[in-house]
Amino acid sequence: MLLITKFRSFLRNLFSSRRVDTDLDAEVRAHLAMLTEENLRAGMSPQEAQRQARLELGGVDQVKEQVSEIRLGNWLHSVLSDCRFGLRHLRKNLGFTVVALLTLALGIGATTAMFSVVYGVLLRPLPYSDSNRIMAVFEVNSRGNPSRVADSNFDDFRDQSRAFQAIAKYGNDVVSVSGASQPTRTAIASVSPDFLSVFRIQPILGRDFTASDSTKGAGPAVLVSYGYWRQHLGSSPDLSQAHLKIGDSVFSVIGVLPAGFQFPTDADLWLPVDLNGEAPSRTAHNFSVVGRLRDGVTVAQANQDISAIGRRIHQTSSEQSDYLLKDAMVLPLRDSITRQARSPLLVLLAAVGFLLLVACANVANLLLAQASVRQRELAIRTALGAARARLVRQFLTEAFLLSLVGGCLGVLAAFWAVTGLVGLAPANLPRLASISINIPVLLFAWFLSSAVAVGLGAFTAAHATSADPRKGLAEGGRVQSGTPASQRVGQIIVAAQIAITLILVVGAGLFGRSLLKVLEVRPGFNVDKIVTMDVSLPEVEDSQAKANQAIFFSNLIDRLQQIPGVRKVGATSGLPMDGGLPDGMFLLMTQNEIPKSADDFDALFQQKDRIGAADFCVATAGYFQALGIPLVRGRIFDQRDGASSPHVAVISESLARDRWPNQDPLGHTIEFGNMDGDLRLLTIVGIVGDTHEYGLDTPPRPTVYVNLFQRPRAAITLTMLSDAATPSVTAAARGILRDLNPEIPAEFRTFPQIYSASLGSRRFNVILLGFFGITALLLATAGVFGVMAYSVSRRTPEIGVRIALGAGPGDVLRMILGQGLRTIFIGVAMGIVGALALTRAIGSLLFGVTATDPLTFGAVALLLVGAALLACYLPARRAMRVDPMVALRYE
Amino acid sequence: MNSEPTTLLQGTLDMLILKSLIAGEMHGLGISRRIQQITGGAFVVKPGSLFPALHRMQEEGWISSFWGDSENNRRAKFYRLTKPGRKQLELETKRWDRISLAIAQALEAI
Repeated sequence: MLLITKFRSFLRNLFSSRRVDTDLDAEVRAHLAMLTEENLRAGMSPQEAQRQARLELGGVDQVKEQVSEIRLGNWLHSVLSDCRFGLRHLRKNLGFTVVALLTLALGIGATTAMFSVVYGVLLRPLPYSDSNRIMAVFEVNSRGNPSRVADSNFDDFRDQSRAFQAIAKYGNDVVSVSGASQPTRTAIASVSPDFLSVFRIQPILGRDFTASDSTKGAGPAVLVSYGYWRQHLGSSPDLSQAHLKIGDSVFSVIGVLPAGFQFPTDADLWLPVDLNGEAPSRTAHNFSVVGRLRDGVTVAQANQDISAIGRRIHQTSSEQSDYLLKDAMVLPLRDSITRQARSPLLVLLAAVGFLLLVACANVANLLLAQASVRQRELAIRTALGAARARLVRQFLTEAFLLSLVGGCLGVLAAFWAVTGLVGLAPANLPRLASISINIPVLLFAWFLSSAVAVGLGAFTAAHATSADPRKGLAEGGRVQSGTPASQRVGQIIVAAQIAITLILVVGAGLFGRSLLKVLEVRPGFNVDKIVTMDVSLPEVEDSQAKANQAIFFSNLIDRLQQIPGVRKVGATSGLPMDGGLPDGMFLLMTQNEIPKSADDFDALFQQKDRIGAADFCVATAGYFQALGIPLVRGRIFDQRDGASSPHVAVISESLARDRWPNQDPLGHTIEFGNMDGDLRLLTIVGIVGDTHEYGLDTPPRPTVYVNLFQRPRAAITLTMLSDAATPSVTAAARGILRDLNPEIPAEFRTFPQIYSASLGSRRFNVILLGFFGITALLLATAGVFGVMAYSVSRRTPEIGVRIALGAGPGDVLRMILGQGLRTIFIGVAMGIVGALALTRAIGSLLFGVTATDPLTFGAVALLLVGAALLACYLPARRAMRVDPMVALRYE
Repeated sequence: MNSEPTTLLQGTLDMLILKSLIAGEMHGLGISRRIQQITGGAFVVKPGSLFPALHRMQEEGWISSFWGDSENNRRAKFYRLTKPGRKQLELETKRWDRISLAIAQALEAI
């Protein structure tokens, strides 16, 4: 009951405040009149009666003020009146308001846009139920790095671990699929039966895999994605007629998965794994593993559990080698996906934070200048009885108004900026699709604006209200334009701005130089004019079938060579910069050393001087020619190397140098059977130049190339060096492939696309950091200009006096610039110290430059000093031109 | 002896105002004079303290107001006690008794 009464009073105070006010006014005046009457009746004269009455009342307005202070909702009422006052003030100083709003919008908008990227990639939960309970499980290899898991190791994890309620292995691939509306190249995943349970997903149509689907010889079943079902199966609810031909087998479609689920990486089809049995070796790291934690188990506990199993395998397995796992570990799935992107994104977020600080510093200086002008107003209000808290609240309110409106403008700008960021982002940025401006990002923007508001408001209030009100009133009408204290604060702010800008621009410079250094690295192959064509034939076991596939590719290459404009055609199992090649260990062995049993093989692997490690690439002679990989010594594949001739290999220069340091590897034989199962020895016949397969900033890897026609493969990439325009080449090539086999689709990419995608990440960082750096530089320069101009205008009378007393223009210039230079140098010094401390953190992201590169530091310092001096130039010139008569007259 | 009631606890002033309204409805000046009267001239409530108290108590719901005519046919704002107000008076009175008892005891003790 009482609560309702109070609420009604609150509403009445808020919305009918005028009526409440009039009512109170009438009541108090009536009281005054009654007091006067009392006094009249007591015998006083009319004037005396009134005067005594007024004395007893204490003043109508005072009483009204005291009543309104205790009213419910008074707080809100006075905040609203502060807002109205603040808005009026901002409207009257439109220039200041616009500049402050734009600056805040820039800072808050940029920070919000960057945060939306960080949130979408690093923080946003994966779109699965309870996704933070889904873990990725890795083996830890002898170098301490996480790697994929071998079949038998997965079996041990699954059977022995008590940490998971569901655990599954999966692999992915891209294959040709036919039998649907048209043949396609589709991303597929091979998964173990519990895969969907890990994600808690159920098919929306049909059924999940059962254990029996995953055994050798089972009638092959396949699950399709929602998108694939709609696009290629006509959304038909009857799955019994849906069959897909993948490789040599026909799969029946048994279920459709919910829309939006495409784990891993855009998979459209899910096959049961192990249809051909498991790979026996514990060093065949073929699969990735995911698992869902049991309720109540923590990540740390799961880690210990899995690690114990891993170490047990390491100690007890008979397959001791460098490729056997040393340990095992568990990472939350989201973190394992975003691991690589983490550092650069955090660096960018810190950088935009710096930009925000510089922007806020400018606004703080603007507010400070405004506050100095308002000294008189503040002094009057204090004299009239305003509490300091009330004045502070006024400044806070104005700061909030600026920040919230600036923040809204910033968020609007951020919508546009995020679209740009997503377009600019490297294609390999994980979770690109989950970047957007959503509720958490908006909340962040709101908190940020509030923090900026509180910071600016508190800062301004502290400085404005600390002045003695008497000084504000005593100056006889002349507007107080800045105490020495506030001037000093302005200079400190500018010095801080310069310092922060220096740190930011140094960071941008280091990243920029890294990119340039990376671009200087010669990749070891042609990039231009190369068109690539990915073709996947069905996987076959039969050696005759394999030989037929090799002949197919030979025909294809011959016909592609005929296309007008095509100069060279080659084939490879792995393009540079396109994901990398499989790697393994090979044995140095001669013909008469071939062991008879598996144990003897293992014994050979134990001898350090017999083994080597390299990447394994299947290629044709045309590949080296098309990509311009130079022959250093010996020869590459030619007509002699047919299917029945002795197998040959070509090795990369760094492999030759490292593995055969004092010998000529030509003529030596190696065995590299664990890569493709073929145990025949390879004779090294040639050495070719190194290529940077993993990117220009990673060293070239030792590579062994074998001949496609001796070691056939079902899936290869053809490389065509052509002078003709790409569309005509791809059209002709597609036609040729269709002639040879209509069921096999091809996928075309240009090599320049692949190459520039590999640099995408560095370019992204450089562009953003460069933008932040330049913007901060412009803001800081404006800040310096503002403070200098303000200082000169304040010191105009003093300058006038000096000139009147005989100072020349040179003296004035020196005086003004000297003050400016001092601030600038302090700022640059602080910036250099700060940068030296902070760039250490980004050392791992740089290439070819150290974190304390003197050239970059020196250049940036000079740039900043130059820009700041330029900013001082105009005000200094104005100071020199001061007319002493005019200056003194304004005393 | 004119001590400012504002040096008393706020509850005490409330109690005095509620008490003076027991007798019937009154306008602000009347309440002030009545308190002066029933405390034997000890407490003179200045308008600066009275008005805020009256309005606060009205918002709490212990008293209600209406415009009426004073003794001299002048428009004035009158206040009357509400039922919750009567309860509040009881509460305040009990509290005051407890406090004065406690203080009396304290003063008698060594």
